[in-house]
Amino acid sequence: MKRVQFEHSAVPYLFIAPQILIISIFFLWPAAQAVYQSFLLEDAFGMSSQFVWFRNFEDVLSSASWSRSAIFTVIFSVLVAVISIAISLFLAVRADEVIRGAKSYRTLLMWGYAIAPPVAGLLGNMMFNPLMGDLYKAFNSFGFEFNHIQNANDAAFVVILIAVWKQVSVNFIFFLSGLQGIPKSVQEAATLDCKSAERRFWTITFPLLAPTTFFLLVINLTYAFFETFGIIDVSTKGSPGGATATLVYKVYVDGFIGADLGGSSAQSVLLMIMVSVLTVFQFRFIERKVHY
Amino acid sequence: MFRKTLMAAAAVFALGNTAEAATEITWWHAMDGALGGVVDQITADFNASQSDYHLVAVNKGGYEDTMTAGIAAFRAKNQPNIIQIFDAGAATIINAKGAVKPVQDLLEENNVKFDINDYIPGVRYFYADSDGKMIGMPFNSSTPLLYYNKEALAKAGVDVPKTWQEFEEAAPKLKEAGYIALAQSHSPWIFFENFMSRHNLQMATANNGYDSTDVEILYNNEALKDHWQHVKDWKDAGYYGYYGRAWGANQDAFVQQQVAMWIGSSGSFGGLRKSAQFDFGTSTLPYWKGVGDAPKSTFIGGASLFAFSGHSAEEDAGVAAFFQFLTKPETQYYWHKETGYVPITNAAYELAKKDGYYKESPDAEVGIQQLSEEGGDWTKGYRLGFYVQIREVIYREVDKIMNGEETVDAAFNTIEEEANGLLKRFNDTYSN
Amino acid sequence: MYQSKWRIFTNHTILILGALFMIMPVWIAFASSTHTREFIFQNGLQFWPGGHMIDNYGAILFDPSATKGRVTALEMLFNSMVLGLGFAIGKVIISMMAAYAIVYFRFKLAVPLFWVIFSTLLLPLEVRIVPSYEVVANLGMLNTYTGLILPLIASATGTFFFRQFYRSVPDELLEAARLDGAGPIRFFIDILVPLSVTMIAAIFIIMFVVGWNQYLWPLLMTTDDQLYTIVIGIKQVYNSLYEGGQIPQFPKAFALTIMATIPPVLVVVIFQRMFIKGLVETEK
Repeated sequence: MKRVQFEHSAVPYLFIAPQILIISIFFLWPAAQAVYQSFLLEDAFGMSSQFVWFRNFEDVLSSASWSRSAIFTVIFSVLVAVISIAISLFLAVRADEVIRGAKSYRTLLMWGYAIAPPVAGLLGNMMFNPLMGDLYKAFNSFGFEFNHIQNANDAAFVVILIAVWKQVSVNFIFFLSGLQGIPKSVQEAATLDCKSAERRFWTITFPLLAPTTFFLLVINLTYAFFETFGIIDVSTKGSPGGATATLVYKVYVDGFIGADLGGSSAQSVLLMIMVSVLTVFQFRFIERKVHY
Repeated sequence: MFRKTLMAAAAVFALGNTAEAATEITWWHAMDGALGGVVDQITADFNASQSDYHLVAVNKGGYEDTMTAGIAAFRAKNQPNIIQIFDAGAATIINAKGAVKPVQDLLEENNVKFDINDYIPGVRYFYADSDGKMIGMPFNSSTPLLYYNKEALAKAGVDVPKTWQEFEEAAPKLKEAGYIALAQSHSPWIFFENFMSRHNLQMATANNGYDSTDVEILYNNEALKDHWQHVKDWKDAGYYGYYGRAWGANQDAFVQQQVAMWIGSSGSFGGLRKSAQFDFGTSTLPYWKGVGDAPKSTFIGGASLFAFSGHSAEEDAGVAAFFQFLTKPETQYYWHKETGYVPITNAAYELAKKDGYYKESPDAEVGIQQLSEEGGDWTKGYRLGFYVQIREVIYREVDKIMNGEETVDAAFNTIEEEANGLLKRFNDTYSN
Repeated sequence: MYQSKWRIFTNHTILILGALFMIMPVWIAFASSTHTREFIFQNGLQFWPGGHMIDNYGAILFDPSATKGRVTALEMLFNSMVLGLGFAIGKVIISMMAAYAIVYFRFKLAVPLFWVIFSTLLLPLEVRIVPSYEVVANLGMLNTYTGLILPLIASATGTFFFRQFYRSVPDELLEAARLDGAGPIRFFIDILVPLSVTMIAAIFIIMFVVGWNQYLWPLLMTTDDQLYTIVIGIKQVYNSLYEGGQIPQFPKAFALTIMATIPPVLVVVIFQRMFIKGLVETEK
């Protein structure tokens, strides 16, 4: 907090009011509704409802498809985060070393930030279209029996690839800035001390980037959890056999397509609990870093 | 906001004094592509035919998107007058007591003559309640048909198979001729629901779900499992192409002539006529000779129109007027001809015959003939809650059967268990 | 710094491969969007552009039937622009003000209100979308830009960005301002806002892109196709690919994809330095 602050009774409320108003109407109220809804069995059209305590949660937690989706979500998120971080770190290190064309490379690698998830999903979907997709044909011509329509692992590969592709740019931007923030004197000293580029990276550069990496890990996990909805909805739609449905996608499918509001709300509440853990973690970390 | 206001202002100017009396009614539908164009034409014709009402038809995406949008809008008290709900969603809307106005009541209240026997047998009771009162107005009514590539069959020297036994004889010859024999576009609808109907097998307890929401599914039976074991064997032998759950991907394989025969909807006829660059014919859905008492008529598929409650009497009268227009033989005949969906009234069917339409394209009659085949105890339809999710379960387990992840037995056990769990949830939700 | 020739060579090779990895899918989509649908359907995706670019793009930009709704891609682009700008402007103003109250004032409800704002990070719109829809409908805001934008603004990310930034502003500034007799409102308008210009621009760019790319919420709440954004248009075209019925409109789907991508990419590339600064600042 600031050491010096205004002491004023009305002004801060005036300034914070618009935000609080919008949040109350469009966040708190609907969120409370979602929680309340999770304790109800209600028909889709809202003509009748009954309070059932934790019935919805029991049904969700005991369903095989939810556990499967939860497991997939965790594996998917970790893989997306780790792979996209690794690729972008690798590219950022090289881009940081390059002198000629540095700016062009930066531009060529960062623009992907602006791509909408459904756009990424559609592109991926086309590339892997069995009748005309180039990647689909390429994989099969190399002798893989690649078939993401039927094979769960292949389908997971497709969504992970799309999600990684979409996320590399963001990570790249952060890593490149982080690298450029390392004082040149440190880098030069390191070059003298240590001839091998690889060792230099692991002993000096990477530790200096650790806070950025950790921050990105959290950002990427959140991304894989929520923002991949658009990717999945226009690529695999959770198939085959629900093998690529993340928890958020499942909330949508059960609540909207399936018209089971109670069950879907219970899933939302479970998600909310998971996200709170992740967010508190992230927040405490950022706070701590600021105090360094 | 600004643009909306501007557009509203423009609209007021444009309509000016002429349209002041017309009551606007809205219709959300799931017909896109070529079908959407036909819907727009029917809407325009209705608006031109009278001046009391102005109908606005809006495409809300696919069947599921439309239903979702309708539910959200109803809860927000912003529902359209008419919504198109597909077969699998019928239980959800019919069991939500008070959400819709039964079409039979609506018509009678507005002095439109209604006799359920005017409708062809296959569609009469599918969207009716257990007392036989019609709740939803059948609209795009379809049935699964076998489409075949004439050239491919000629090349292999085989006839169109009427039964699966005949198919098994034809398939190796088609393979030799360079084709995958068969693909189909909708496993739950074609190879589950209509399999039961075609063989006159009971699909669920409580009269296929019409009598109560307290039901159990009867899919886990030998006949259906045996069929799927065959499908899996065909796939492994290269006689059956499985392009995933997407409707379009399986149809594309037929259009691209990789697959010699394809089972789709009678409603696919119009679109195929435009996209397929080869001569194709249609035939009835094959059945297993000796299983159940096949062949019986299939279920009606597709969707129906429901009139949401909560609108003024004036608007409801407009809905009734539109339904009356929609069931006119001329409208039905036009719809049938353009899309391939079957005409829903006897009068429209007669009109099509009289007009010589089937002489000129006999393939267009196959669908309605199939629906007019002899019915049995279990061919009337089904009414199962959360059936949209049950179809999801089926899709998922079919994926697993096809990729060899699960045996047919295991998959059917899962289907039975999960479907019954969903039906129980539905019963608990709707029975009080 | 000394670099071996080999290292320089591999650096360039790796970066070129990385750039190709990013660009190739979009390039193929573009090239394929310039052929007829029959050609794509029979020959698959294309690497080289064909001769139907003007036909395809012209059709979806100006002919509503090509996008299978009653709205052209041009109108969808307009809607996306309104959503992107409205979202960015609203977000910047509201979060600047809220962050100012939190950082620069000592007041009774500061802590609870801060937690209220913080709580919005816990439940993304995706998982509270049904009740959100009901609220917007009850307020009569369905099918309005207001209803489209306001619920999206109800999240704290912008506030946290500004909070971090204000905290990095030296305390001396406030002390000096107070000595000059500046009140809180004058300090905000005359000193803090001008000081934040780069930050505002950066967050504006980020938020514009976020708003432009919104998907699920516009999909659900715009029941009137006159309000479809270009990203929703993609979903609509995708649906028709998925459901079949006629020769799939692959080229038009790609053309729509390209048009949905160009504006946000241009913004990000043109204002690159500002954008990167903003994005990275917020992390610190």
